[in-house]
Amino acid sequence: MTDIAQAGPQPGAAGRPPGESAERPARAVPGQPDMWVLVLFEALVFTAYLAVYLFHRSAHSELFLRSQADLSPWLGTLDTLLLLTSSLFMLRCVQASRAGAFRAAMSQAFITALLGTAFLASKITEWALLVHGGHGFTSNEFFTYYFFLTGIHLLHLLIGFITIGVIICQLRRRERRSQEIVETCATYWHTVDLLWVLIFSLLYVVR
Amino acid sequence: MSTTAAGPATPPGPPAGSRLGRVAWHWRNNPKRELWFAWYTTVIFYNIFFIVFFPVTHAQPPPHPYWSDAQVAYWFNHNHDGLLIGLAIIFAIAGMTVAQNALIAYSMRRMSVSRAFGYSYIVMYSLSAVPGLLLLCVVLSVGAMRPGRDPAQVHWLYDFAFLSYIGTMGIFLLGSLVWMLAILLDKNRVLPKWFGYLNLCNALTEVVVAPAWIFHQGVLDWNGLISWWVNMVVFGVYTGAFIMLLRTMIQREDFGDGPLPDLRKDDRAKASALAGTPR
Repeated sequence: MTDIAQAGPQPGAAGRPPGESAERPARAVPGQPDMWVLVLFEALVFTAYLAVYLFHRSAHSELFLRSQADLSPWLGTLDTLLLLTSSLFMLRCVQASRAGAFRAAMSQAFITALLGTAFLASKITEWALLVHGGHGFTSNEFFTYYFFLTGIHLLHLLIGFITIGVIICQLRRRERRSQEIVETCATYWHTVDLLWVLIFSLLYVVR
Repeated sequence: MSTTAAGPATPPGPPAGSRLGRVAWHWRNNPKRELWFAWYTTVIFYNIFFIVFFPVTHAQPPPHPYWSDAQVAYWFNHNHDGLLIGLAIIFAIAGMTVAQNALIAYSMRRMSVSRAFGYSYIVMYSLSAVPGLLLLCVVLSVGAMRPGRDPAQVHWLYDFAFLSYIGTMGIFLLGSLVWMLAILLDKNRVLPKWFGYLNLCNALTEVVVAPAWIFHQGVLDWNGLISWWVNMVVFGVYTGAFIMLLRTMIQREDFGDGPLPDLRKDDRAKASALAGTPR
């Protein structure tokens, strides 16, 4: 994280494919605007899932509150902190890549992946503890939602690892380097983070 | 569907006069007639598919998986005529899916990616049509055919039909991912990148269907609020998007092998006139 500010753009560092402009329009969204379609669409789909959850929660509030008490708020908070920190490192990765500090950007991308892996391990541990405590996918309505929402989010996280792999490939090879693709993949990773914050709020925090 | 750079020479334009005359002219002279044929076939197929499966047979949205033998037998008896007539129509038009798969595979062949994408898509979707469409129709027809059959047997057919249908979601998942990869890797700008990402959304909703094998009631059963209703909205948006994008692709098609040209306003008008489609 040391050389981002000082590095500045390296000569020819851009390594941009022909046609990719070095100048960014002042009000452009990061990455491909097309990726924001996925962000919007996934946000809408998860909103639908969470609306269904809230609807059933209001109908069986006692069961949901009782079951919610069996979740570990500490593990949920740890998960949130891990993903928020990973997003911070992803942000620094993009900034470093924009500044032409590709080696530093790669380090940030690896740290992001590491934090994502820690989230994965934490989530699997939480699932194992819950199953060991007698709470499975089919135990009751709350845990059906819990395993479904955290499971589908975990699938998004696994795809996020692929996007980090794409970022690392982009940063590693000069001839294939594209800032736009780096930012597009970073946008996906932030989406995974955003979805988790929504899930965490509703499953762990809201009483 | 020639891919020569210049493409066949086209006479000046369709004759003014009757619509039938213009259709006949396009049939003989329009170099994109096969593409338009496949596109119109796709549109017609989806319209008939919707009418048959929703209001005629009532097989969509699927009825509840937790019904008793008597309730299932009643459902078959109640929809007896609709099931037999509707599914007979589906058997008659099932071959139209070939044109749709061919057009989607054509879009991938027009891209700057390996032909393996298009061919694997065709193979996957051709295979999935057997359990996902034909077997569903055969089994529901068998259930409806003889109203006096033992309700337990009818219930068995009912489970078989709907599990066969939802069991093909994994193929749709893979197919969406194949199309997504082709679009994201393509340099010919055949389809927009946002549609590539929409393929990912569609693929992820196919995963959500999997719990229907575990749950007999609730939001994740085979007609649940999440596993069916939310998914159907996503699928509807996805299908509408790809039908319109394939139409634009045909309008932009220049039969070359480089990037597809953009449609300018006057090009669009010309393409619509050539295709005989509304602007």
